[in-house]
Amino acid sequence: MILAEGLATGLFAVTILSLMAGFPVAFTLAGTALFMGGLGWMLGVFDPSLLGAIPSRIFGGAMWNETLLAVPLFVFMGIMLEKSRVAEELLDSMGLLFGSLRGGLGISVFIVGALLAASTGIVGAAVVTMGLMSLPTMLKRGYDPRLAAGSVCAAGTLGQIIPPSIVLILLGEQISNAYMAAQSLKGNWSPEPVSVGDLFAGALIPGLCLVGLYILYQVIMAVFKPESSPALLREEVTGSVQSLPLMLLRSLLPPVILIIAVLGSILMGIATPTEAAAVGAVGAILLAALKSDEGSKLPVYAAGIGIPLLLLLANGTDLTRIAVDGIGPEALLAFVLIAVILAGLVIGLRRLLRRGILGEVCQSTMEMTAMVFVILIGATIFSLVFRGLGGDEMVYRLLSDLPGGRFGALLVVMIVIFVLGFFLDFVEITFVVVPIVAPVLLLMDISPIWLGIMIALNLQTSFLTPPFGFALFYLRGVAPPEITTGVIYRGVAPFVLLQLLALALLALFPALATWLPAVLNGTRY
Amino acid sequence: MTHLTALAQLLDRLSATVGKYVSWLALAMVLVQFLLVLARYVFGIGIIALQESVIYSFALLFMAGAADTLRRDGHVRIDILYEKLSEKGQAAINLLGSLFLLIPVCLVILILSWPYVAGSWQIMEGSRESAGLPILFLLKSLLLVFPIAMILQGLATILRAIDVFRRREGTS
Repeated sequence: MILAEGLATGLFAVTILSLMAGFPVAFTLAGTALFMGGLGWMLGVFDPSLLGAIPSRIFGGAMWNETLLAVPLFVFMGIMLEKSRVAEELLDSMGLLFGSLRGGLGISVFIVGALLAASTGIVGAAVVTMGLMSLPTMLKRGYDPRLAAGSVCAAGTLGQIIPPSIVLILLGEQISNAYMAAQSLKGNWSPEPVSVGDLFAGALIPGLCLVGLYILYQVIMAVFKPESSPALLREEVTGSVQSLPLMLLRSLLPPVILIIAVLGSILMGIATPTEAAAVGAVGAILLAALKSDEGSKLPVYAAGIGIPLLLLLANGTDLTRIAVDGIGPEALLAFVLIAVILAGLVIGLRRLLRRGILGEVCQSTMEMTAMVFVILIGATIFSLVFRGLGGDEMVYRLLSDLPGGRFGALLVVMIVIFVLGFFLDFVEITFVVVPIVAPVLLLMDISPIWLGIMIALNLQTSFLTPPFGFALFYLRGVAPPEITTGVIYRGVAPFVLLQLLALALLALFPALATWLPAVLNGTRY
Repeated sequence: MTHLTALAQLLDRLSATVGKYVSWLALAMVLVQFLLVLARYVFGIGIIALQESVIYSFALLFMAGAADTLRRDGHVRIDILYEKLSEKGQAAINLLGSLFLLIPVCLVILILSWPYVAGSWQIMEGSRESAGLPILFLLKSLLLVFPIAMILQGLATILRAIDVFRRREGTS
């Protein structure tokens, strides 16, 4: 027993050390686990037949996983949207709107960050775009470089917490499994399942609170340290004032429509995340095709208008009986609309194909999907060995023996995730740490949604924490030379504190996360 | 060019070609899923075989695309130390990692999956739904394709690493 648990602890330590060497994470996780398992087998404390579950786990957990099917679709949508330059147009018009205020450029970065988060949710893209566009303007206007760099990083990471986000999908799946496991241990064999949609709903208010905190910080800085965030001079606000409303409309309309359609339909429980993501991806294709400046825009616009019209028509009339009733005028209209949509889509796709954009987007989608799911495979093998060595029972005892009961256990888990977040990224933490700790916490009657959002907020923070915060890397890659790594590190420090403040608020007021899912979906936890 | 680099290039090209074709499944997923949404919300029809084809595309996308992703160095590394290493240091990490982590892991997956996949072939396993795709055994065979493709690409990584060491010795 002691030997096995020694090996389980050793496994965790050896894995962390090996990861530091820099070989791809997925294989390091699985490889060190298999070596420790082999050692345990030789010492007679590990039953190798447990590994026989590997193929069925990979098949059932990764390949045939209808929840995680949404991941590549959302990735495709995000990358395609990046090509449609929505971010650039939003930054331009928001800069115009707020630029003449003190701290206005900073505020515009946070608002654009939130809008991008709700439509694409790809952190790298948001940080890079804002780092290329907003950061130079802010520096030129005399913004404190630390404040400017920190704002761009923090605004970029909003994509992780504001739904729809990849983190929330992966977490939702893990929390749902953990909740099922915890409930069946308690003798409840038919618990109410937790869905990804519940987590999306739960994350919305905490995400918006975070945006509020960021903006509040920027306002306070502008009031008490005016030299840190000066206003643009009037003549620098480019473009005539008359054209501003039109510009705002042009830049805001596409992302706002996408947000309402995709996020709205998931939150209202009309569509599954997979279905909503597919519609969103088609919307992103049409938007990108519009920007390709080639040929007539009419067919693409027609397709874009056709989709909501068709769904409205389907909502207003009953087309499900055409096989029985024959084709009436409504059905005819529906077929015409479908033809228009498909024609516009094909024309748009051809343009993107010719410009090489379509191939790039597909390639990036494949790479990101393979990266995530190969880590899932590696983490599956790691978890099998860790459990086989009795690691999960050890964690259970450790967490239940802590002083302070539920609160103590939750606090320790949050600290562990925060610290791991300095070195690991969200995919590994979600796939390795969450399945180990979440069932234990959920056994203590902690709300699964609240726990999920706490973890999500914590993981989002890991994007900002040096030295391995992804947002910092992305910004470093595109920032002008005077923005050194040191400036970025010091710049994000206040935002990391704001993150911790938001976590503390959420810990004190669980209703921030649990209220909206209860109202929308009637969840009772 | 030595035989080593020629072989490495051949293996790279294999992964790249597979990756290039497989990546289009991302678009296929979007379009088929979109059609399914139209069918369901407009006409109230669910087409199980088509829904399953989205899952097949998804599994193929990452199981068959993983090797090309490895070739492009797309699998996450913790590069705090790695990025500071010399070309030779990085080559050493990749050589040791492929030899002692990647290839053993893939061999274990391959060996353990063999009976699982063979069992599926024996009964020509199909979908659990009667209207589903009758070729589940082919999908499950990806459990063999994935480790084999990864071992081949791992071999290419090893050959390139050896080449780095050789060139260093040649110039010094």
